[in-house]
Amino acid sequence: MTAARQPLIKVENLTYQYNGAQPVLKNISLEIGRGECLAVIGQNGSGKTTLVKHFNGLLKPSSGRVYINGRDTGPQKVSTLARTVGYVFQNPDHQIFHDTVGKEVAFGLKNLRLPAEEIERRVNEALEAVGLTGHYATYPFNLSKGQRQRVALASVLAMHTEVIVLDEPTTGQDYRESVQIMEMVKNLHEKGHTIVFITHDMSLVARYAARTVVLCEGEILADAPVRAVFAQPELLARSYLKPPQITLLAQELGKRAIPPDVISVREMYDLLQKARADKIGCCG
Amino acid sequence: MAAAVEYIQKDSPVHRLNAATKIFWALFTLACGLLFNDYRYLLGLLASVLLVAAAGRVLKNLLPAITGLSVFALILLLIQALFYDQGQVIFHLIPQTSYLPVTNYGILSGVAMAARMLSLVLSFLVLLATTRIQDMVLTMVEKFKMPYDYAFMFMTTLRFIPTFLGEVRQITDAQKARGHAVEGFNPFKKIRSYAPVTVPLVLISLNKAENMAMAMETRGYGGGRRTYFKEPKMRGADYLLTAVLLLLLVLGVTARVKGLGVM
Ligand SMILES: Nc1ncnc2c1ncn2[C@@H]1O[C@H](COP(=O)(O)OP(=O)(O)OP(=O)(O)O)[C@@H](O)[C@H]1O
Ligand SMILES: [Mg+2]
Repeated sequence: MTAARQPLIKVENLTYQYNGAQPVLKNISLEIGRGECLAVIGQNGSGKTTLVKHFNGLLKPSSGRVYINGRDTGPQKVSTLARTVGYVFQNPDHQIFHDTVGKEVAFGLKNLRLPAEEIERRVNEALEAVGLTGHYATYPFNLSKGQRQRVALASVLAMHTEVIVLDEPTTGQDYRESVQIMEMVKNLHEKGHTIVFITHDMSLVARYAARTVVLCEGEILADAPVRAVFAQPELLARSYLKPPQITLLAQELGKRAIPPDVISVREMYDLLQKARADKIGCCG
Repeated sequence: MAAAVEYIQKDSPVHRLNAATKIFWALFTLACGLLFNDYRYLLGLLASVLLVAAAGRVLKNLLPAITGLSVFALILLLIQALFYDQGQVIFHLIPQTSYLPVTNYGILSGVAMAARMLSLVLSFLVLLATTRIQDMVLTMVEKFKMPYDYAFMFMTTLRFIPTFLGEVRQITDAQKARGHAVEGFNPFKKIRSYAPVTVPLVLISLNKAENMAMAMETRGYGGGRRTYFKEPKMRGADYLLTAVLLLLLVLGVTARVKGLGVM
């Protein structure tokens, strides 16, 4: 089967400029396979949002091509691509307009013209997934911003799209809500959805992504497994990013016993225990 | 149109002029546009406005607006040509009949109307594109003695247009991403399909207004006499230009009283 072999998202020499003369994305090529979990990172204004808006056709390349499932996005409508690619915006207030949470979540499903029972089933399922089960009939604007963000998330989850793009899903959330949201994302990934998320929180990248793309002034600075990227602090510094603290600690501790690509506390703990047992440890 | 109402940062002789001079120029253009209705005078006026735009190096930025306005100008011209029945008939819009005659005066007065509309609107756009809103407000308050509240309201309205257009775009994107499409030709369906955009827009706008009110209060809005950090000065060029414009205005009024420039 060719469908299984071709990447789900393929970006070919993508250049994009807004009205201004300066291109915001410069000749970007990228492939994302089915079932990947990819983090896009980079400083403010590096072009992350601009890049992912090409995945569901909100933006069309100035030059180059973007393929979803092997089909060029150029001639396709966003409302058509929405069947394949779900997109969660950063600000939920740009989309909420119904008077109950349930209706809001059902909006996308109605656009897909699903039968009523199916809609009902999926709405309940999505609300449960985001931890808002009891809020079916709540007026959305009585919810907190974090909860509204999860309503927006549910309204995209319910559409069961193959790809889910999340633009800074945790910005402005407290730690607990951030983790809740990311656990939800992880869950979806385990169910087989392809995930692309943008974040400024390196610890979330370390914890949830398998692969990361680093953007810097519209170009791809690195595209590699998370570990490999965090093991190169000089490279990250060029995009004004810093690996998570535990990785910095590993790099500080030196090369012999502790590798420079540790990304979790658990991993560090195990390495330190082992080093102590071997009596070559660095920390006595 | 979004770009047309915004200040465009450039270094040009027009930008360097005092806001008062430029406001006076826009009013002068308005007066001339209303004084005359001879197409030659009004075309001349339009040319002068375009010249000022070119001197301010904003002609290119105004091009989208000019294109948009030209459509209206054409419609004006068409209507005028259709319904003005004095003068020599040149041709009939429905050939071989005597219906809908188009006369030479009809066309000329259409041209005059279109040129007047273009000059008035464009002079205002040139003013906005070359003058920082703060300077404009300052001038209106200090020079023209407008109450600060009104000037502030004017400034905020202008400032919010691009912001709103941005919000509209973001909301439309968010709804499209959930499979929403503004549907076909049925007007009822069409109106209903705008709700996903208008409802969030209204809510966001109310929220913005409330936030702004709070921000204004925390910064002491309405707390007494205002002083200004930067008081824009009238320079030689400003006095000279104002004098020239005044002279032209007097000449214009005299000409008009003598019956020149009217058809
Ligand atoms: N609608 C627009 N019109 C013109 N320029 C834009 C527009 N949106 C973004 N830009 C510009 O494009 C560049 C990249 O913006 P983008 O939003 O993709 O950055 P980002 O990496 O998502 O940044 P952030 O981390 O702040 O979200 C910025 O320089 C920005 O000013
Ligand atoms: Mg962004």
